[in-house]
Amino acid sequence: MPQIISRTPRMPQSRCPAGVPADGNSSPSVIRVIVKTPGHLNSFPVAGDTSVRQFKENLSAHFQCQMDQLVLVSMGCLLKDHDILSHRGIKDGQTIHVVIKSKYGSRSLAHSFQNLSMNNPCHQDRSTKGNSSRVCQSAGMGQTKEESSLLMGSDAPNVGTQSPEVDSPEHTAQMLENLCVQRMLSNIDFMRQLISEHPDMQELLQQNPEISHLIDNSEILCHTLELARHLAVIQEIMQINQPAQNLEHLLNPQPYLGLETIPNGNNALGQTYDFNDQMLNGMHDLLGGNSFTTLLAGQVVEQVQTPSPFPLPSEEQLVCPPARDIYANSCGLSSITPTNPTLSIAHDASRENPASVTTEGQSHVCAIQQPAGIPTLLSTVVTQELQEDDKGTAIPVGSSDQGLERDLQQSGEQTSSQLTGGMVQLLRNYPYMAAQMLLLMNMPQQNEQWRQQTPTSLQSSQLSELLLALANPKTSQAILQIEHGLQLLATEFPILLPCIEPYLLGLGWFPPSSCSYPDAVPWTLNVSDMTEPECGPQSGTVLQKSQPQSGDPSYFLQSPEVHFHKQMEHLQALGFVNDDANLQALIATDGDTNAAVHKLKRSQES
Amino acid sequence: MEPPNLYPVKLYVYDLSKGLARRLSPIMLGKQLEGIWHTSIVVHKDEFFFGSGGISSCSPGGTLLGPPDTVVDVGNTEVTEEIFLEYLSSLGESLFRGEAYNLFEHNCNTFSNEVAQFLTGRKIPSYITDLPSEVLSTPFGQALRPFLDSIQIQPPGGNSVGRPNGQS
Repeated sequence: MPQIISRTPRMPQSRCPAGVPADGNSSPSVIRVIVKTPGHLNSFPVAGDTSVRQFKENLSAHFQCQMDQLVLVSMGCLLKDHDILSHRGIKDGQTIHVVIKSKYGSRSLAHSFQNLSMNNPCHQDRSTKGNSSRVCQSAGMGQTKEESSLLMGSDAPNVGTQSPEVDSPEHTAQMLENLCVQRMLSNIDFMRQLISEHPDMQELLQQNPEISHLIDNSEILCHTLELARHLAVIQEIMQINQPAQNLEHLLNPQPYLGLETIPNGNNALGQTYDFNDQMLNGMHDLLGGNSFTTLLAGQVVEQVQTPSPFPLPSEEQLVCPPARDIYANSCGLSSITPTNPTLSIAHDASRENPASVTTEGQSHVCAIQQPAGIPTLLSTVVTQELQEDDKGTAIPVGSSDQGLERDLQQSGEQTSSQLTGGMVQLLRNYPYMAAQMLLLMNMPQQNEQWRQQTPTSLQSSQLSELLLALANPKTSQAILQIEHGLQLLATEFPILLPCIEPYLLGLGWFPPSSCSYPDAVPWTLNVSDMTEPECGPQSGTVLQKSQPQSGDPSYFLQSPEVHFHKQMEHLQALGFVNDDANLQALIATDGDTNAAVHKLKRSQES
Repeated sequence: MEPPNLYPVKLYVYDLSKGLARRLSPIMLGKQLEGIWHTSIVVHKDEFFFGSGGISSCSPGGTLLGPPDTVVDVGNTEVTEEIFLEYLSSLGESLFRGEAYNLFEHNCNTFSNEVAQFLTGRKIPSYITDLPSEVLSTPFGQALRPFLDSIQIQPPGGNSVGRPNGQS
């Protein structure tokens, strides 16, 4: 039972029998009842033979509401006024739930099963009304004040009953034809204020400053508003569920898009549609997530063809502003380039940030790949809280569309790769973890079992010892050195490759010829898409050689020797001949030569 | 006096890992987890669940997760739909706002538990509510905690439940 959080001042219980002590516990007829409202928990001492009605009177005084607003629920039963508490089985310490009804009448879920239209319309509709009513209130313009009351007046009964009509396009049409709405729309200043001060719009602007000129350009505004008035045109846009050809048809006749006037041409195209969509969203309810994605995905026909509306609305439900989402989505899958510069693997830089940012990339992967109907772990829109360093990472849409297409085609094969992909991203940032997993996965006997996909029969004690051993940083160091050695062999003496192949396999590298481990390939594929700025020119690992199609340098575990090459030379020049110690010092100081020198000196003297 | 209407209350249980947790948990966590549970309450022919987008509702089995893996009968309630929606609205404004979502402490199962107790006085099965502590009691879970803490789950396909704007 829930603990008592607060104790209310004792209610004047004139109906209680005289002589009841103040704290009420000792008397058998007074029980302490826990009253639970959403968000609050109170304890009420009350006589066992109190009627519900009397109890309600007390509560209404306490909660400062009318008695008929109170609904008492206990053990799933509604408590009626004439009931006696003890007769209903309310004992000491029992919880009574209280619901305080709002002053307005009843409401029902608009999407309930009677309703045949899409789920989205009602959500949008509610927010539409919400927006417009908020706008009305904040408009503060003399002439619209009375109109706003008109609007609210017409809204209230609708909102009150929320009958299925609410969701139909007719209602939207009615709303549009409403005189005051028309007047609102035609008032340019007001609309500009509305648009620029809407929080969503402001967030959009923050991330994409280049569209600010769109908002300033009154001609574009005018055209868009005209567009907004004509439901037919909007519905035409709605039907951009067709393949991209329709989209292009639609694009051409609209002069105000004026691609040549908008900087970044094609990129801005996606952005303007974002912007327009934002506006349309605020006005109409039929705009499902479909047009969002189709407008942006453009050439990605596969996406468009999957009929399910479900995954797409999720993008609107996400915490982050839609535009940012869509950018991340279209930037695709594992190749989230702008977030990468903030990453630094294996250098103990802020661990939380990279982890969450990368998985954001991965999470949006998952959101897009839903239409393909792939079962995934945590991928039903696993969204991340966006970090501040995401802001300002404007990503050109056009360049990544092809990537998106290609990746979506690959997606059909990577059924469990979402899981492994997400794990890989994570492991890159927790290199010790990676070493553990690596070793676990590559022990020969366990390897077999893993591949056969049966659970391994590790005893838990064995496993914990294993993990402890692996958690030792020297272990991962040693593995790195082995890897480095093998890499050297592979590059310098490729003739030896067949001889060392079993060792490579053991360490988890898979030469291109024998890609017979499909579940492991996605590991490398996903990882290979991460770019690291400082590792570009360096000679790649064997991984890189075996994944030529990735195109990017790929580093599963980058050897510190390679990374600290320059610093090692420095140290050697300074007279520290012990390479191993130098390497250790450099790793410990994160590449700082001076600090490493100090460290080495200190250890030499000790 | 006529007997009050009783509405059945069900708990829909989904395994978010679709079986992977059962297979991988021994090796990854060192203990056997049967699944990563996401739950929702089904009552008045609607499904209600809590995610990073706040309280949502849809038709039963109507999220992208598809049909549930398990259905648990919680009991019956007299609470009418109207009262229930009021209750949900006030929950959504107080305890269960979208931003209050936390994968370990305050997740969909917390919500389902709360609602089940309101509707029927009964709690949901403990194997579901104990899941976060099970995971956190493993070294792997502890190590992954910062990462997992920032995960937010919102199964697509639902609509927000809340009071319309402008009402108290």
